Amino acid sequence: MVKSAFELIGRVTSFGGRALRDAWTPPFEREYLAWQLSEVGVSSFLLVVAAGFALGVVMTLHTRSTLVQFGATADIPGFQSLAFINEIGPLVTGLLMAGRVGASIGAQLANMRATEQIDAIETLSVNSFKLLVVTRVIACTVMLPVLTVFMDASGILGGFISEHLISHLSWTLYLHRAFENLALANFIPPTLKTAVFGYLIAIISCFYGYTTNEGSNGVRKAATNSVVISSLVIILADVILVKCIFFLFPDQAL
Amino acid sequence: MSDNGGPNGQHDAAIAFEQVDKGFNGRKVLDKVSFSVARGEVLCILGRSGTGKSVTLKLMIGLHNADAGKVLVEGEDMATLDEDGLVKVRRKMGYMFQSAALLDSFSLNQNLAMPLHRLDRTKSPDEIKRAVSETLRQVGLEKDGEKMPATLSGGMQKRAGLARALILRPEILLVDEPSSGLDRITAGEIDDLLIEVKTKRHTTMAIVTHDIHGARKIGDKFAVLDQGRLLAFGTPKELDSRQDSRLQQFISER
Repeated sequence: MVKSAFELIGRVTSFGGRALRDAWTPPFEREYLAWQLSEVGVSSFLLVVAAGFALGVVMTLHTRSTLVQFGATADIPGFQSLAFINEIGPLVTGLLMAGRVGASIGAQLANMRATEQIDAIETLSVNSFKLLVVTRVIACTVMLPVLTVFMDASGILGGFISEHLISHLSWTLYLHRAFENLALANFIPPTLKTAVFGYLIAIISCFYGYTTNEGSNGVRKAATNSVVISSLVIILADVILVKCIFFLFPDQAL
Repeated sequence: MSDNGGPNGQHDAAIAFEQVDKGFNGRKVLDKVSFSVARGEVLCILGRSGTGKSVTLKLMIGLHNADAGKVLVEGEDMATLDEDGLVKVRRKMGYMFQSAALLDSFSLNQNLAMPLHRLDRTKSPDEIKRAVSETLRQVGLEKDGEKMPATLSGGMQKRAGLARALILRPEILLVDEPSSGLDRITAGEIDDLLIEVKTKRHTTMAIVTHDIHGARKIGDKFAVLDQGRLLAFGTPKELDSRQDSRLQQFISER
C-alpha cells in the first residue's frame, strides 16, 4: 500500500516533470493551446464569477452579524478584501477548477485513450503528449491566476452589494476601506500561487486520463480520481505555499 | 513458422517480423512470428478474434514494442528508434483503425489537416485545404468536411479514417478490420478504395481482416495467425493448395 502510493507519487512527479520540460521545446501547438486557454478560462468564467459573488454576499452577512456586536461594521470591507485576496479567492477558485476542469480533462483524455484517439495521434507522427498534456498544463497554469482575479473582484462586489443594501455604504467608501490596508505584496503572492494549483490540477487530471488503459471503466476512474486527488493536493499545497509566502514575505504574516 | 523470404529477403522488405514474441499481463499473444512484406505488396492477416492480428499491426507502427525478436520497417528496428526516429518512420506510414479513431472534438477537415499542418510546413493553408478536399473526394466525403465524427455513420467514419491514413500519401498503409460492422455493399466500397490505392499508388499494405471475400480481392499474400502462432504464410493460391483443414477454415469463402 505504502509502496504503491510512493510509486504513484513517483510516476505523477515524472509525468509533471516531462510536461514542464516539453513546454519549452518546439513544436508549441499554438492553435490547440489557444483552444485550451478558452476551454479552461472562458468556459469557467461564469462559474467562478457566480460562485465568487455568492460567497461575497454570504461572507459579508456572516461577518456583519459578528462585527456588529463590537461596533466594528466599518471594518467589513477590509475583512472581506483581505479574506478574499489572501485565501478564499485562490482556494475556492482552485477547488472549483479541480471539479470543473479536472473532471473534464480526466474524462476526455481517458475517453481518447479508450477509443484509440491518442494512438491515432501518435500514428500521425504527432507527439500526443505535447498536443494533449502540455497544452492543458499551460492553459491551467496561466488561467487559474486570471480566474482568481475575477473571483476576488466578484467576491468584493458581492460583499459591497450585500453591505450597501443594509447600511447604504457608498461604492467609493467601500473600495477605500477594502483596499486601504492592502499593498500589492498582499495581492500578488496569493494570486500567483494559483498558478501552482493550476499546474497540479492539470498534471493530476492528465496523468489519470492519459495513462489509463481500462476502457470505459478507466473513464469513470479518471474523472473521479482527477477531482478527488486534485482537490486534496490543492488543499495540501495551499498549506505549504502559505508557509512559503509567509517565509518570503514576512510582513504578510503579521 | 518461418517466412518465405529468408533473413536477407526480410531486410530488403518494407516490413519484416523476425521471431517476434509479444505478451500482455503474462499472456503470450504472439509467439515467434516471422514473415515479411515486400514493397508494393498487400498482405492480409487472417485469424480468429484475439489471436494477435491487431497487435501485429500496432507492432509495425511502434505503438507496441516486441518482447523478443525484431520488427523491421524499411530496415529500421522499431524497438531501437528514439522519438525522432519513430516520427521519421511513421511519416511514411498510414494507419486506419478498426474504430476509425477520429478525433471527436475536431471536424473531418481538421482531422485530416492536423498532420499536414505539423509535418509539411512547406504547404500553405490553401494547399492544405486543397489536399484535404482532394483526399475526402477520393473516399466520397467531399461534402462532409465540416461535419463532426459523431454525426457520421459507421461506414462514413471508416472512409474518413481511411482518408486520414492516406492524407500524407504513405508508402505503407496499415488497415485494421476495414469491413467490420459494415454491410456487404459498404464493405465492398471500402475494398474498392483499397484496391484503388494499391493499383494507383503501389502502396505496401498490411490489412487485418475477417472478411475472406475482401481479402481475396485485395491481398497478394495471406498470413494466418492461430493462437499467437503463424499457421500459414503465402499467396492465396499456395494456401488453397494445402491440405490443412484448420487452415482451410480460415481461408475458405464457404
